[in-house]
Amino acid sequence: MSSQPAIVGNYLREGAGVGSWLLTTDHKRIAWLYLASLTAFFFLGGFFALMIRIELATPAGDLVSDAVYNRLFSLHGIIMVWFFLVPSIPATLGNFLLPLMIGARDLAFPRLNLASWYVFILGSLFTLASVVLGGVDTGWTFYTPLSSIYSDSYVSLAAFGVFVVGFSSIMTGVNFIVTVHKLRAPGLTWFRLPIFVWTLYATSLVMVLATPVLAASLILIVLERAFGLGVFDPRLGGDPLLFQHLFWFYSHPAVYIMILPGMGVVSEILPCFSRRPLFGYTSVALASMAIAVFGFLVWGHHMFVSGQSTYAGVVFSFLSFCVAIPSAIKVFNWSLTLRKGEITFEAPMLYALFFLALFTFGGLSGLFLAALAVDVHVHDTYFVVAHFHYIMVGGMVMAYMGGLHFWWPKMTGRLYPETLGRIAAVTTFIGFNLTFLPQFVLGFNGMPRRYHTYPPEFQFWHILSSAGAVVLAAGYLMPLYYLGRSLFRGAKAPGNPWDATGLEWQTGSPPPPHNFAVTPVVTRPAYDYPMKGLEHERFSPHRGTAG
Amino acid sequence: MSEIRKLTLAYLGLMALLALTVGSSFIDLGGFNPALNLAFAAAKAGIIAILFMHLARTEPLARLAVAAAGLWLAILFGLTLAGQATGGI
Amino acid sequence: MTGSVESVAFDTRHREQAADTFGMWVFIGSEAMLFGSIMLVFLIAHISYGPAFAAASKHLSLTLGTVNTAVLITSSFAMALAHLLSTARRWRDAALALTATALLGIVFLAIKGSEYAMEFHEGIAPVLGAPFTFDGPDPVHAQLFFSLYFAMTALHGLHLIGGIAVVGWLLAFWRRTGPASRGRRVQAVGLYWHFVDVVWVFLFPVLYLIDR
Repeated sequence: MSSQPAIVGNYLREGAGVGSWLLTTDHKRIAWLYLASLTAFFFLGGFFALMIRIELATPAGDLVSDAVYNRLFSLHGIIMVWFFLVPSIPATLGNFLLPLMIGARDLAFPRLNLASWYVFILGSLFTLASVVLGGVDTGWTFYTPLSSIYSDSYVSLAAFGVFVVGFSSIMTGVNFIVTVHKLRAPGLTWFRLPIFVWTLYATSLVMVLATPVLAASLILIVLERAFGLGVFDPRLGGDPLLFQHLFWFYSHPAVYIMILPGMGVVSEILPCFSRRPLFGYTSVALASMAIAVFGFLVWGHHMFVSGQSTYAGVVFSFLSFCVAIPSAIKVFNWSLTLRKGEITFEAPMLYALFFLALFTFGGLSGLFLAALAVDVHVHDTYFVVAHFHYIMVGGMVMAYMGGLHFWWPKMTGRLYPETLGRIAAVTTFIGFNLTFLPQFVLGFNGMPRRYHTYPPEFQFWHILSSAGAVVLAAGYLMPLYYLGRSLFRGAKAPGNPWDATGLEWQTGSPPPPHNFAVTPVVTRPAYDYPMKGLEHERFSPHRGTAG
Repeated sequence: MSEIRKLTLAYLGLMALLALTVGSSFIDLGGFNPALNLAFAAAKAGIIAILFMHLARTEPLARLAVAAAGLWLAILFGLTLAGQATGGI
Repeated sequence: MTGSVESVAFDTRHREQAADTFGMWVFIGSEAMLFGSIMLVFLIAHISYGPAFAAASKHLSLTLGTVNTAVLITSSFAMALAHLLSTARRWRDAALALTATALLGIVFLAIKGSEYAMEFHEGIAPVLGAPFTFDGPDPVHAQLFFSLYFAMTALHGLHLIGGIAVVGWLLAFWRRTGPASRGRRVQAVGLYWHFVDVVWVFLFPVLYLIDR
């Protein structure tokens, strides 16, 4: 360690002024460009969510009309899915950390990286235009024939925005795939990579293969609306169900785009704060790839009651049960990582532990939905809404917050206030469960989704949920405040404040512009944490290796 | 064989296949016509990929990428068409 | 050595070239999924309405379609030559080959445009509110064929325009580009161009040769 050359330079100081940020090709700065935009979109989507929850606090549709309500939940979904969740970890933490974690100076195609941000912004302008002009009311799923024929909202504008943003996804995916293949440091074999890199790679494969199908489905809607194409219109010989096949062929793998990076982040945090190597590294790596591949085979489970072939339904149901297996494997491995560890509860660890609990719970609720007979009962109810929010918010957003806190010192050179961080994490956990646990009850009692009025007997659960939303909002506003403040007032961070393994921690906080003065050479496995007292355990990854 | 000769032969082969494609469409082979057309198209695509895009010379990784795309198209087509064939799309 | 790499991440030109090629193939894979999805839509409609599609397909100009296919194949040949000449460092000849490629691409677009005009004139172009008149047994489904025909060929055409634009940009900056970069760029554009050709090679029989 003492023979390492002094780490000189700080990417944040390299060039000042707006131009040096807007024309940068430094992956670390591009990560900040994305972070700023995505944070704005997160709070915009959150605003729509709050409006929904305020409306649903009372059974009558008294806050907004049903037409406006349709726009609220549609915009909430569209913004949260495509303008926050899909890009979130890959474009922020992934962009920042991928080259660092593999010992590279930048991604394979830095200019493509910058272009991907501009394409994202361009796409967002179209969708934002549709928001300003009055919104879209088809739901984030754009189902035909409502979207293609009957809706008089700004469908084409919103859909075109998503279409453009999809290409930003593909560009990032191509960049990451080539980077992982071509720019690993000497000695960094595939099975020495951090799991975060594995999950980014798996995510990128899904982005590249699935997003074009979404592009096709959305452009067909635009063509149908603008030119009367007719592929989804039965009067012209089309079939509206075809849209659902194309849409869900992308959108189911898309949920894996959203969760896989979160799984990667958690795989980095748990070993660090239990001071143990990740249990079953190989299984976790291969399970990540399995999730990416199997995720393409289950899209029909969104269409059980759509009129698709029942034989297809049976096959998709079976495959959906299968796709839960690699996720379960990962949950077991994460849990075993904690075993006999020296666990401390810093904010990132709290977020990671909450992820573990909530992702497991949400995943199990997915198995109910995979069962054909149960799904007939709960399809399009709040049961589904609760399920995916457990995964997306309880899982993914928790992981995102955890990762943001974990790597904040690396990205900014500042420490965030630890006590506030823990308070925010716990607040988020409480708020989240208060918001979404009642929704399972609502769902199996029959409360439909996308309705803004309901029978009075549901009000108790809705009030719990709306109260929870307020707490959850507070949980998200706190980091906005103290992370932002730490940029100016935070204590200076050392190179490796968590004493974590991983190449990103071997360079400065913040890193110099080209990351490493000398390309590192890797000789040790990942998660090289001490196994105090457990070196001879049967499943120890260090068993038989020197040191 | 010089590179230019290879390219020229590939080009002539493509033109010949084009002629065959169009020519065979005038002969009524029933259900065989679409299959034949697709076979000719695949042959042309193969020539373009191997001789113009040098797919055979690229590293195995790139060929794996092509194979993966092919497999994914097969999944998209296969499961959707199977759904259609078994009663309602 | 490092001076000739374009991206700061790479140590050697050779590695960067490999990354460029691989990256372009991955992108081509994603484009294949895009065109594949639309082909699937067409295929399902074709299976449902075979006779109507066959009758409608006859109204496309087989001559122009065949000529266009030949034009595009020739442009691919020119592009392949451009790549060969670049690797041999015959820059002037390579630039000529690139120009030929772009010109042939423009010829393709011109012929396509004239086909579109013909179809508008004949009243079988159900786009932009133009009236659709079809004197066959199943006009509704024939209209579906023509809508899909316009959508698919337009998508292909847009990709071709993109390719021509990139080749044009490459030629415009030819003098200012270093030799190593020239070779890499021709290689990358070449892969894209050939892919656009392959898409047409499948589109042509699927649209024009349903039942001649």
